[in-house]
Amino acid sequence: MEHSSPIERVLRAVALTLVVLFFMFPIFWIVLMSFQTNETILRIPPSVVFEPTLSNYKALLSGRLETAAGTLELNFLRTLWNSIFLSVTSVAVSLLLGVPAAYAFARHKFRGSEDIAFTLLSFRFAPPLLVLLPLTIYFQQIGLANTYIGLIWVYQLICLPLILWIVRGYFEDISADIEYAYRIGGHSWFATFRKIALPLAGPGIAAAGLLAFIFAWNNFVFALVLASADKQPVTVGALAFVTASGIQYGQIAAAIVLSITPTLALALYAQRYLVEGLSLGAVKG
Amino acid sequence: MSVVSAQRRPSSGFRISKRVLPYVLSLPALLVCIGILIPFLTAAWYSLHRYRLSQPWGYKFIWFDNYLNFFTDPKFWNTLKISLTYAGVTVVLELVLGLAIALLLQKRSTVNNFISIMLLLPLMTAPALAALMWKLMTNPGFGILSYLASLIGLQDFRWASSPSTALLTVVLVDVWVYTPFIMILLLAGLRSLPTQPFEAAALDGVPRSFVFFRITLPMLMPYILTATLFRLLDSIQQFDIIYAMTQGGPGDTLTVFQVEAYLNFFQSTNVGRSAALMIILWAITYLLSNIFIKHWLRLRERARGHG
Amino acid sequence: MASLELQGIVKRYKGQAVLDDVSLTVGDGETVVLFGPSGSGKSVLLRLIAGVVDPDAGRILIGGEDVTEVDAEFRGVGMAFQNFALFPHMSAFDNIATPLEARKARPDAIRAGVESVARLLKIGHVLSHKPRALSNGQKQRTALARALAGEPPLLLLDDPLRNVDAKLRFEMRLELPRLLATRGATVVYVTQDYKEAMALGDRIAVMAQGGIRQLGTPEQIYLEPASIEIARLFGDPTINLLDVKPSRDARGIFVGLSNVQVRLDGASEQAVGRDCVIGLRPEALSFVGPDTAGAIPVTVEAETPLNEKVVTLVRTVRGREILVSRPAGTPGPAQSAAHLAVNAKSALLFDRATGSRIGSGRRREVAA
Repeated sequence: MEHSSPIERVLRAVALTLVVLFFMFPIFWIVLMSFQTNETILRIPPSVVFEPTLSNYKALLSGRLETAAGTLELNFLRTLWNSIFLSVTSVAVSLLLGVPAAYAFARHKFRGSEDIAFTLLSFRFAPPLLVLLPLTIYFQQIGLANTYIGLIWVYQLICLPLILWIVRGYFEDISADIEYAYRIGGHSWFATFRKIALPLAGPGIAAAGLLAFIFAWNNFVFALVLASADKQPVTVGALAFVTASGIQYGQIAAAIVLSITPTLALALYAQRYLVEGLSLGAVKG
Repeated sequence: MSVVSAQRRPSSGFRISKRVLPYVLSLPALLVCIGILIPFLTAAWYSLHRYRLSQPWGYKFIWFDNYLNFFTDPKFWNTLKISLTYAGVTVVLELVLGLAIALLLQKRSTVNNFISIMLLLPLMTAPALAALMWKLMTNPGFGILSYLASLIGLQDFRWASSPSTALLTVVLVDVWVYTPFIMILLLAGLRSLPTQPFEAAALDGVPRSFVFFRITLPMLMPYILTATLFRLLDSIQQFDIIYAMTQGGPGDTLTVFQVEAYLNFFQSTNVGRSAALMIILWAITYLLSNIFIKHWLRLRERARGHG
Repeated sequence: MASLELQGIVKRYKGQAVLDDVSLTVGDGETVVLFGPSGSGKSVLLRLIAGVVDPDAGRILIGGEDVTEVDAEFRGVGMAFQNFALFPHMSAFDNIATPLEARKARPDAIRAGVESVARLLKIGHVLSHKPRALSNGQKQRTALARALAGEPPLLLLDDPLRNVDAKLRFEMRLELPRLLATRGATVVYVTQDYKEAMALGDRIAVMAQGGIRQLGTPEQIYLEPASIEIARLFGDPTINLLDVKPSRDARGIFVGLSNVQVRLDGASEQAVGRDCVIGLRPEALSFVGPDTAGAIPVTVEAETPLNEKVVTLVRTVRGREILVSRPAGTPGPAQSAAHLAVNAKSALLFDRATGSRIGSGRRREVAA
């Protein structure tokens, strides 16, 4: 690999350029679109030269969209808030439930622990609609339909297995002797969990939480089935945008940009954790 | 003085027994998940019924009729065919592409690391939103991709709105979103391989194609298998991209399992058929994930043996 | 007071007995060394005493009180680990302070306690460092300090010198007995190093395959090992082992060593006529003139000076290799043809089939 010929190096560079182009272009293009008016978007041939405008974002944030058919009230900020609230709360609940369970699975090989862990993991692979469709009927009956609580509960299906599985791996990596040392020093199991296990698994818990947040944010089908307009997150809200007639294309693009920015920013900010979490989630379990 | 001083030992009622503790810790998580298990059983139960939300009076236990009807139902065969095609095509494409990119980025350098970080972005984009992005780009009126297609002589290339190219379009979006996933796993795998065999092969002047097929690929196999199964399980259940892009259309071109079940439930309100579809999909994924878990256990065993 | 008593301890992992009916009593203030190869169950035994692992059967008594069902934090023991097991996210000070904090000591009492034990172990200058920033020796001292900080009446040390370099190990071997003596604690010490065992133990428990094979003072273990296995584990260079078949006549019991009949004073009658292995410590052999009675002719192959002694490799007429050691500075063989005399009193006879020592009645009494 060290003695690569010039031709090979050129080929490599070309291939890498194509890769970057293919994977970056859509994001780049949508961002460009979000700063354009309908006139510049509809130009043939398309061009990257245009007078940038913030009007799309202003319209989105004010919630009043000028369309061909007139002014449309579309509360995009509300869906953004829903996404934030649902994702943050779901991850928080997941951490609260999942971290102690992960600790139990990692430290105590109790009867059936392996079976239970695998059952929980298998939720990650079950078709979501299998559970969702009957759940809509149940939620109607017990009054959880279109409530945040109902959604957060269902979101555990995404977050909990992920957190359980990744955090368990991190707990297993802590030498048992370190925890023994603390207990022998005179501390209870709970103090040991709090003062030793939690801080040492901290990076892993952060990585798992981050990944769970992104997965919750990016989820589509749960909210599509269970939430009506006022509880919708951005993924579902943006679809409604596209199907609503007469909305300016630049505004759709701006809505998409606003919807994907939080996860992309998080991904860039914590990419090392993320890669670790993804690899661990897949290879280690 | 007693070693085990009495005042330091709390009253026996306060302490949680060592044997009960793990159950106490994992119980809340289990309860939440058990709550989810109930609908699963309900779905299985519904699948044995004639059950339409619009005709509640027709509710009737019909054994396996929903399943048996599938045999003579061309729509079901279409669903099965399109689901398997979609899963097969996306996984193969993503695997080949992901492996190629991972090989390109294998060497640690500033540029390579930067590119691999950038490739995280599509993966972190919500698939439903990714579909919308591509929908904007393939819009016949102003889409940049429609324009580019016209430049290479494909006038009036309809992308997702034409039955002949709809599959291609959603596969493209899937490839865009999920290739980085495979790339990341394989890159982690490639970089964790021991260097000695490669150095030895280089010293001996072994041809590189031989090195790739006889050393790299076999050593990378565990990672490739894991990535493949993960993707296969996700891909056969794809909903977000297809639904956001075409709602299963045009016609029933893209009615994969979950989309078909969704439409059956909410449009035809045919709960029984919808549930039966989901049970079949579940059976397929269960089979696949069992293969995965067996394989995963073997991997773990091997990893532990080395450690 | 902190005597320790183990009664019939059994521990199984996946059906395999790691400890099989182990009983041991350690007197108050005594240091007992658990010595044995890895996998002999000594580390598990230590964890059972500490209370972080539960036995499948048997009882553990500390200070006469049954603590088998008592959680680790209430047993009042201190423990140092082979891999140090320092808390990586805490400074050395905080590491050492943890047993004191557990007792809800006041901050100034904690500070005083940590500083005094740190002074004792000469790590006062690195207390603010995280374990990551400590050298191996400092880590090891921090781990010891943490174990000592709570002034536990019972101290468990799991091969604490294993992961430090040779020089440090030597220093600590000299320093530790004094240190342990100042605390007056009862100590159970695990090691795989026989010198450490000999230097530190009031008594040594030799463990193998989940059981205690011999229990005795270092002297007893060295001079009267219960088996070939134990004889081989103690001593450097290792003991010379030669196949013999003792015979007797009117003058006493004889063994044939390289065609020379050597009389063994004090050998047991039971050995006569049996297939035996004779164990000769290198220092039980000495070079003598050719006309000494019972001198064995040998050829000198190599000489290696080892600090305080010189080790000579010789070969008998029958081609068997034997190691001889003598104090450095004393005269060795003049030429390559030399003669050896055996200090018959320290010769050990083992049954070849079972490996156990055939001792005189007197000796067996002492060993038990």
